[in-house]
Amino acid sequence: MAMIRNRSRHRLVAYSLILPFVAIFALVFAYPVIEVVRMSFTDAPLIGGGDWVGFDNYARLLSDKLFYKSLVNNGYFVLLTVIPTTVIALVIALAVNRLSGRMQALALVLFFMPYVLPVSVVTQIWAWMLDFQFGILQPVIEFFTGKPVPVFKNPFWVMPAVAVVTIWWTNGFNVLLFLAGLRNIPEELYEAAKLDGATRRQLFLRVTWPLLWPVTALVLTLQLILQLKIFDQVYLLSEGGPFNSSYVLLLMVYREAFQLNHGGYAAAISLVLFLIIVVISVLQFQILRIGGKDK
Amino acid sequence: MKLKTLAQVSAIAALAGIGMPAFAQQTVTWWDFFAGGDGVRMKALIEQFNEEHPDVQIEGTTLEWGVPFYTKVRTSAAVGRGPDLMTYHLSRMPLGLSEGVLTPITAADLDAAGLSEGDFFASSLDAAKGPDGALYAVPFDIHSIVLYYNKSYLEGTRFLDAEGKLTGIESLADFEEALQAAADNGSEAPVTYATGDDGGTYRVFYTLLSQQGGTLISDDGEVLPGDSAEKAVKALEIMTNWHDKGWQPEQALYEASVALFTSGKSAFQLNGVWEVPTMKDLEKNGNLGFEWGAVEIPKLMDTQTTWADSHAWAIPVQGDTEMDPAKREAVMQVIGWMEKHAIQWADAGHIPAYKPVAESEEFKTMEPNATYSSLADGATYDPRSEVAGVASPAYDAAQNIISPAMHGYLSPADAIEQVKSELESKMN
Repeated sequence: MAMIRNRSRHRLVAYSLILPFVAIFALVFAYPVIEVVRMSFTDAPLIGGGDWVGFDNYARLLSDKLFYKSLVNNGYFVLLTVIPTTVIALVIALAVNRLSGRMQALALVLFFMPYVLPVSVVTQIWAWMLDFQFGILQPVIEFFTGKPVPVFKNPFWVMPAVAVVTIWWTNGFNVLLFLAGLRNIPEELYEAAKLDGATRRQLFLRVTWPLLWPVTALVLTLQLILQLKIFDQVYLLSEGGPFNSSYVLLLMVYREAFQLNHGGYAAAISLVLFLIIVVISVLQFQILRIGGKDK
Repeated sequence: MKLKTLAQVSAIAALAGIGMPAFAQQTVTWWDFFAGGDGVRMKALIEQFNEEHPDVQIEGTTLEWGVPFYTKVRTSAAVGRGPDLMTYHLSRMPLGLSEGVLTPITAADLDAAGLSEGDFFASSLDAAKGPDGALYAVPFDIHSIVLYYNKSYLEGTRFLDAEGKLTGIESLADFEEALQAAADNGSEAPVTYATGDDGGTYRVFYTLLSQQGGTLISDDGEVLPGDSAEKAVKALEIMTNWHDKGWQPEQALYEASVALFTSGKSAFQLNGVWEVPTMKDLEKNGNLGFEWGAVEIPKLMDTQTTWADSHAWAIPVQGDTEMDPAKREAVMQVIGWMEKHAIQWADAGHIPAYKPVAESEEFKTMEPNATYSSLADGATYDPRSEVAGVASPAYDAAQNIISPAMHGYLSPADAIEQVKSELESKMN
């Protein structure tokens, strides 16, 4: 009898301990997700309920040219950012790792600083530096192309330019992750390898690279999720133009919901983006894990 | 014990709260989007009103112009946390009506304000009405783009008369001749407007289209109906030509486009009347360095008309509840007072929509407003469509398609085709 009461009390304590988390999770995550799913099947405006329209929003999405254009642009942006930023962060981390003491701290601060800035400040800085009339980077561009280029107003330059800004802004965090990974590799492994006569190239390829793989996989996955959610930089720098060449899915969600008051359609788009992110990131993580096991 | 005290205190507070309106004044919560030179003038008006009316106090807040303002209005009005009175663009009415944010202004409301429909310019009054014929806003001004000119580049040409006023521009050919003359006289960008921004590009394009009798969106929702598409191509070709000839600045954002004129590098500026205070202030402080004037956009194409919009007063819905009649009366009192003091607002370049002020001696001697106020009669408002108006897809298309096209990234015909399909896709 006492045992049973004890067990039920145990259970009660357990429930009461997880209750706050479950309650908050349900309120700020589960409920909104369910609402988005429900809303995507209605013609609701931004505020207030709407009528059930079944799969109309999704059917419309599949015939919306702007949706495909945005999807392609999202993919293009991922290509432009994910692997470059990972490679750059790895190179910087390897270099910073060779420094010691204060110099290392200083270098780390310098690379991490942009990450601390809010996106509006970052875009303002770059908009000024690349300004068509007086930007200080225009002479550099002129040197290579022969004439100044309004980068955020040119359909070919706009996405690469936004990618450069994004990499500059977020790279510091990846450097930090790689640096932590590098510090986790035991010094003895390098010593042993050196005793066996390994060259520096071999040290990197046989010791550093395989042992760093979990971190690399993590960085790649985090970047993929982050860059698929691109919105702020595009909204602040080019507003999707010119000719929709920087239009991305979240900008479409924003315009539909907040400018045109189509809550239901916006919910459908965001749900599709959510599913794309889930599928791609799970796939990618699995592939990377398999890649890691082979090593 | 403590709890009990707390309960007592709040009960008393609640009672006091209920008792308040019996002896207290009305507070009118006011939202506007005027942050620049016109914001200063609007705040002065609010202050003066508050001083003169101890029983009605305006509590003003200025929010960010454009989509942020209208999103905030919509979400807050839906739950009854919106303002009692707000400024609204008449070009935004179609979307506002579809959102169900606006309450009709009844004849009784107008009475309370001491106004009547006959007091307003017909074009602005039409734009303030819904399809049901009810009034949903009270027009405050009519604002448009005008042609600013710098006399120094035109001296010695046929474009200045004996009094030093702009003359002789009666067609596109005349205007382009004047641009060439200004360029020959050393003007860096003979005609400046915000070629890289949505508003500047849209307004010039829309004016050129309207002057040919073209329609951007018809009342039944057709984009560029009939031969309007050809006329739109023509309008864009004109703007592209200005670019190719080097007459207009390349990718100028709004501030830069204004600076080109105020710093004396441009002979002409196509911009809103709201820059009049900028010019006046510079002239008064002796920082301008040239003589200027502003006129209604000349007849460049077939008819005399200009893009126009109005700032207006609107009373948003209060969630599911009705506004207290006493408060509504106070709000209408504010609107009436503002209309009758619109001469101070005209100081910001605008043309009052309220005729008794627009036809007063004081306004007729106010320059340069009096020179261009004739545009109010024949102005063309934005299309009555949910995808047109301030901060709408039509504005976006100007920045996204028209502006890059005239900079040479796409042919005018292809660009207009894209504008058409873009706006059509946003309509369903």
